[in-house]
Amino acid sequence: MEKSIKNIKKLSLVGLVALMGFMQSACTDFLEVKPENQIVLENFWTDKNDVHSIIAGCYTAFQSDANVKRMMVWGEFRSDNIYVGVNTNSDASLEKVLLENIDAKNDYTNWDGFYDIINRCNTVLLYAPQVAEKDPAYTQSELRADMAEVIALRSLAYFYLIRTFRDVPYSSVAYTDDNQKMDLPASPFEVVLDSLITSLESIQNDAIDIYPEDKPKYQTGRITRDAIRAMLCEMYLWKQDYDNCIKYADMVIESKKKMAEDNRKKSKNYNQSKSSGSQLYELTNGYPLIESQQETGLYFGNAYTTIFGSDNNVSENMQEIIFQLIFDDTPSESHMKANGAVNSFYGNSQDEGLVAPPEFMLKERDETTDRKVFAIKNQKVDARLYENFNSTEKRIVKYTTSRITINAQTKTNPRAENISRYSQNQNGSNWIIYRLTDIMLLKAEALTQKMIEGSDDNVVEHNKPFLAEAFSLVNAVNKRSVCEPFGTQLVDTLVSDDYTSKSLMEELVLKERQRELMFEGKRWYDLVRLSRRTGNTTDLSNAALLKAATSQDLIANKLAKMDAIYWPYNLEEVKVNKNLVQNPAFDSGEDKSYKKNY
Amino acid sequence: MRIFRTIILLMALLATTALRAQSISSVHGTVSDDMGPLMGATVCEIDATGRIINSAITDLNGNFTMKVKNANDKIRFSYVGLKTQSLAIDRTTYKIRMTSATQLKEVQVTSKKRVKGNGLPIPERELSTASQSLSMKEFEGLAITSVEEALQGHIAGLDIIANSGDLGSGSTMRLRGVATMSDVTGSSPLVVVDGNERDELGSQVGDLQGSDLNEKFSELLSINPEDIAEIRVLKDGASAAIYGVKGANGVIEITTKRGARGKPRLGYSFRMTGTYQPNSNYKMLNGDDYTMLLKESYFNPEQSDAASDIPELNYDPTFSEYEQYNNNTDWIDAVSQFAIRQQHNLNVSGGGEMASFRISAGYEHDKGTTIKTNYNRFTTRVNLDYKVSDRIRVSTNFDLTYQKNYQNYSGLLDIARKKMPNMSIYEQNPVTGEDTDAYYTMLQSGSSVFNNDQKGYANPVAVAHLAKRIRRAYDMRPDLIIRYQLLGLDEEHWQLNYTGRVVLSTNNTYNESYYPQVLTTKKISDGVNDASEGSSKNVQFRTRHELTLIPAFKNKDHSAMVMGFFEITNNSSSNQDLSKQGAPTGISTTKGGGKISSMNSAFNPDSRSMSYTVTSHYAYKGRYIADFTLRADGTTKLGKDHRWVYNPSVSGKWIISDEKFMKPTEKWLSMLAIRGSWSRVGNANISDFLFTSKYESTNDSYIDMAGMKPSNIRLSDLNCQWNTDMNLGFDLGFLKDRLSLNFEVYQKTSTDQLMSNYRIPSNAGFKTVPYRNTGKSRNTGWEFTVNTNRIVKAGKFTMDMNVNFANNRNEILEMDEYLLRNRNSDFGYTNGETLTRVQLHHPQGALYGFRYKGVYQYNYSTVQYMSEEERNEFFASGKTAPVVMNEKGEVVLDAQGDPLRMMFNYTIDSQGKNYKFCGGDAIYEDINHDGQINALDIVYLGSSLPKLYGGFGFNFNYGRWRLTTQFVYRLGHKIMNLARLNAEAMTGNNNQSEAVNYRWRKEGDITSIPRAMYGNSNYNTLVSDRFVEDASFVRMQSLNLNYSFDKKQLKWIGLNRVTLTASAQNLFTLTKYTGVEPNNTGTPAIDNNPTPLSHMYTLGINVEF
Repeated sequence: MEKSIKNIKKLSLVGLVALMGFMQSACTDFLEVKPENQIVLENFWTDKNDVHSIIAGCYTAFQSDANVKRMMVWGEFRSDNIYVGVNTNSDASLEKVLLENIDAKNDYTNWDGFYDIINRCNTVLLYAPQVAEKDPAYTQSELRADMAEVIALRSLAYFYLIRTFRDVPYSSVAYTDDNQKMDLPASPFEVVLDSLITSLESIQNDAIDIYPEDKPKYQTGRITRDAIRAMLCEMYLWKQDYDNCIKYADMVIESKKKMAEDNRKKSKNYNQSKSSGSQLYELTNGYPLIESQQETGLYFGNAYTTIFGSDNNVSENMQEIIFQLIFDDTPSESHMKANGAVNSFYGNSQDEGLVAPPEFMLKERDETTDRKVFAIKNQKVDARLYENFNSTEKRIVKYTTSRITINAQTKTNPRAENISRYSQNQNGSNWIIYRLTDIMLLKAEALTQKMIEGSDDNVVEHNKPFLAEAFSLVNAVNKRSVCEPFGTQLVDTLVSDDYTSKSLMEELVLKERQRELMFEGKRWYDLVRLSRRTGNTTDLSNAALLKAATSQDLIANKLAKMDAIYWPYNLEEVKVNKNLVQNPAFDSGEDKSYKKNY
Repeated sequence: MRIFRTIILLMALLATTALRAQSISSVHGTVSDDMGPLMGATVCEIDATGRIINSAITDLNGNFTMKVKNANDKIRFSYVGLKTQSLAIDRTTYKIRMTSATQLKEVQVTSKKRVKGNGLPIPERELSTASQSLSMKEFEGLAITSVEEALQGHIAGLDIIANSGDLGSGSTMRLRGVATMSDVTGSSPLVVVDGNERDELGSQVGDLQGSDLNEKFSELLSINPEDIAEIRVLKDGASAAIYGVKGANGVIEITTKRGARGKPRLGYSFRMTGTYQPNSNYKMLNGDDYTMLLKESYFNPEQSDAASDIPELNYDPTFSEYEQYNNNTDWIDAVSQFAIRQQHNLNVSGGGEMASFRISAGYEHDKGTTIKTNYNRFTTRVNLDYKVSDRIRVSTNFDLTYQKNYQNYSGLLDIARKKMPNMSIYEQNPVTGEDTDAYYTMLQSGSSVFNNDQKGYANPVAVAHLAKRIRRAYDMRPDLIIRYQLLGLDEEHWQLNYTGRVVLSTNNTYNESYYPQVLTTKKISDGVNDASEGSSKNVQFRTRHELTLIPAFKNKDHSAMVMGFFEITNNSSSNQDLSKQGAPTGISTTKGGGKISSMNSAFNPDSRSMSYTVTSHYAYKGRYIADFTLRADGTTKLGKDHRWVYNPSVSGKWIISDEKFMKPTEKWLSMLAIRGSWSRVGNANISDFLFTSKYESTNDSYIDMAGMKPSNIRLSDLNCQWNTDMNLGFDLGFLKDRLSLNFEVYQKTSTDQLMSNYRIPSNAGFKTVPYRNTGKSRNTGWEFTVNTNRIVKAGKFTMDMNVNFANNRNEILEMDEYLLRNRNSDFGYTNGETLTRVQLHHPQGALYGFRYKGVYQYNYSTVQYMSEEERNEFFASGKTAPVVMNEKGEVVLDAQGDPLRMMFNYTIDSQGKNYKFCGGDAIYEDINHDGQINALDIVYLGSSLPKLYGGFGFNFNYGRWRLTTQFVYRLGHKIMNLARLNAEAMTGNNNQSEAVNYRWRKEGDITSIPRAMYGNSNYNTLVSDRFVEDASFVRMQSLNLNYSFDKKQLKWIGLNRVTLTASAQNLFTLTKYTGVEPNNTGTPAIDNNPTPLSHMYTLGINVEF
């Protein structure tokens, strides 16, 4: 009996040990739980839908308020187009940018949003090929098209960064682990630019040329071959490789011509109600630009409404727009984003914008002799004077208005009518990154650079074809906005005889770009490109000083340095990256200028 | 006696297995004693393990019949007060005559007091680690309302700081300083109740922040003090090692009272406490002084009457709101009240041979010292023990806490301190000036200068009455324990004991709040009638299986114990909240209409952990002691490579006084021992699943494509943070332990610290990673405790005391260079901006700022055109003006021969402030004599770490009277009094302290308070030593007087015991500090005006039936 009790004890002991052993073997499984509220890597990247959803995420990253704001601030706000508006002091960093008082603490030196885009793109590039191996429905051509799309988006993000900061850390590898090397030194501008060009060249034919017709917004809202070529066109211009710039500009222009032709054929309505195609081409020297005049009477603004307006008539504006970020004016219904950056910077029906055009610009409409921007010989009325800003309200019109009509019945005093501003937080205007006139003018700029300075006959002879083509391009863009009805005897507003030398032509192109692309985030980059070309900042500085109300000497001093036309790295970045050398033109933001007071 | 009886029983049981008859299926017989037949005696059949198989009760004549299951069992006869008999079942008829048990000879049984050390029942004197225990017997009859209050001042090295005087706001506990720089690994000690780890906090640490975390911690500690038998605080790593990663910040072990054999006893206690809030050391301005100050502060910057022409300040009877702005309202008084707290506690305990129980219930109802706040708490606890057999025992504990806290919608005191005092509480009749029923709120059409402050401050009295914020919490913990003694039952045999335990903890909290429109003058569309509701739920399941082996060595010099246990825990939690705006007036919940402004629900993934632990204890001759513990923790918080955390610890003790050579000193030196311990414990109180890449939805679509994005950078190498802890302790006891001293020296080094939100270069696509293992810091300190046991004894009088001193020094040893640069802020040249600095080889918590030298008496222009002699005479007489002085104290002249004017942050490119100091501005010391005040003039102003802290108390007994006192102190630490800075800034419309009445008003004024200047154009309240104050203090924590009645006097009314108590808490604080609370453990310590601790006076009665 005693024995049996002991046996029982032994048995139970063995049982316990066995139980514990069992628990131990079960333990590894026990600790393998996955979060239920998020998707983990192991369960993601299984089919092509996962790839497409991250690609959509790349676009929404581009669309974030912070990033669109940076495209605006970096690309334009230091230029003569933009100055302090109403309540600007609610954004102290913005105010400092407008007053050309930028330091490394300035919020707009933050670039994390752009690297977020880059990292999302790199993540797709890392995992998409693995998905293609798993998902039989994911074809190689689809994979290549997707890779091309994200490489293009990544290149665009880097292109913004180098135009702003000159040298930036460059990585084409996705960051997924915290033990990867993050404190990269900045790669030089030229190196980054070259690698962008190389990668875009290699994938341009993989990209989708034309998206299906039932997805009309994809054509301009997503990367296409044209979009990649537009980028290459501009990149070559920055690289000062003018032949290639012209080559890609021509490819884009040809493609857009073809698209306009196709559209016209499809739409009978168009043919009947509007002037015939040939007439239109004649009007704009043979380029497929949307005309400004409305269907009846001396009313203009049609081009604005089609390109920027709320109709978002993508099938109509896609003949002129190459790439844009698509926003929506009813974000709560569509689950898309409204354009919050424009809403706060340029204003809405309720609030005025944080920024406004500078005084001298607002006077342009009423000045007759001393126009600085819209200096036009024949004093024709330029529709863009009304489409870009409102002189009386001192507000920016472009992008904040879904519709505009310019009543030119009384030639001497046209009026802007039928203006409808987007209401608060419901700005539905798409943010345009490339459109046809931009490419045309880039090409004009490249052509100009192929000219030679001088006046002897050889030079004139050499310059002639370039001059003619460049002028024709500029004139086409300009003519479209002249408030003159077609059909009447047209007199060119620009006269080719006025622009006979390289420098004059160069100035004309720059001015036309300012007029045409005002408030589209392009002007400062134009000035930086000019400075890179000339090797000095004189023109840039002169332009920037036009708006300055105070401390002009100080600003002139600052901008005299080539480094100063770029932006400083954010102080926080420099603090965590010892390989990042601060732009010498800027105060580090740390307290260091302790000059003795006596 | 009881023990003896049990032993006899056991002996009897063991002896009766020899003889047995073949097939007895039932027995019968009679039971009697000296007096005749016994009715109600128990007859039972018991098996070999002592388990009851069958039982019967004798009838009126003492007869019984009972079926027998197994003839091998025994039969037992028992009756209360009589000697139990056990016999073999060898016949069918029993005639039993029982004898009285009370006639036995008395036997003395000695046993060592055993405590749980490292989970083993170790004799108390063999404990080799640093811990300190507190028996709640000491507090019996006293008005202790919480665990914190009981511990306050008693435990050396334990810092307890009440977060604020608000009800239910809890307190912060830090054991031996903050071990690490990392801010989110949770610094609160682990609370263990009856062996149950309350570590819900650890699993939620990633989600809870600030005050929520404190409230949660206080809920974990919300155990009715009357239910507690003992509290033990484990201080060094070695003592907490069996708790592994959870015990990294120290452990507070609480043991609750259990039922004991005996007749049921019923106890009841009642306490009534009156509380009130002390006035802070500075008073706020009244309406008249306030308006005068404001008019001056608007006039000064622009020197124009137009700027100060503000109707609300003008006392102009033609102003339509005149009556509303001509008052002297004491807002603080309006929101404060004298409050009453009531506590009722009831407990029943008792037990018999088989089972014992203790059931208690407590109810507390507090009114807060700010109006309309109150706090209700109901607690109940059931502890049951049931002896199934001699080998098997089952226990169950069940406790439930329900709390309901009616808080103010927002901090009323905070608004009351800022609100303009010339405004009235109630809208006044514009004709008669009498109060109406309506609360007054500043109109949106009021002067625009009030836009950014006063217009936003709701009427605090109205907020108290009309808005609501309610927090409810339910806490339930059923707990089942089975103990099985597999081998021997006593020390003479090898013992192998199994304990299995299953615990389920649930914790639910509900929050609701409502803010009605009438409190603002805003439009409905701007978001009013805000109602929100939220709840969170946390369920934890834990099971633990342990085996303890206690060998019985032949050689009694050796004693050893080994225990191993295995434990798994699963934690799941979820929370939801819903906010609505614009609900119809009259409906104060989210159930009504209105627009949903936010809605969240989160189901957090299960967080799991599992651990294996081995712990052992060995003693040779009872005086050489060695302990070893190893715990392996596996957790879902860490990735595969680092998932298992091994926490080893060793400790040893040498009781020198037990040595033979110490014989001569035995008389007076009763204890001399030296202890040493070492441990290495990991800490992984972080969020789950940081080690994996996760993807989440972007909230917006692009065109028609739903977007996703990578949501993190995975921390593939994330490891836990390591605390290496060394402790050296000395125990001394004199005169039979009537005086005991205890000294501990320790060093805690934490490496691989988990630093949260580590900033990475953002070219990685993210700006931060949640954590990084980096840095090393060290805490070194010592503790000294003195305790007495009836040290003074004279007749009926006895006196005791306890004193403890502690000191802790902190040093940062290593730090990632990026982190170091990132943690150090640049000075932004604004008023009230506090500077943080982390410097290698320096402690945390240093305070930096300018040196304040008073106020410039004269303007610059006054001295500008003086002749040199006049000027010299001027300065020699001690007058001041804003001019630059060189090192020798001579005035510096510029090229024109004028004195150089003192500037603030001058830069040649005019990007600095370039402010020219004027008369009435603050004088800051120009440390480097560069003619301007800038960041280079910032100096070290002191440390917020105390030089010494601790507590002491005295205990006097005289017959039935008892008087106890307890004090806490903290010496030599400095606090940045930001609250005072704001109350003396004079840059906005907030009400200011009365000190500003002494402000500089005109040239020549000698004062230390600068002039009133509205706006940001002055730099008079930069952080400087004007606001860094020495906050050394001694506080009388409690004073208790109680009287217990003589038992004989109570017999006639059937009571066992009656005790009366009168006590006071937080009676006074001796300090020079001007803020409300000198007890501040922040690093750096910054005073942001918490609700001051209340003074409390309590009367209580304890009755036992």
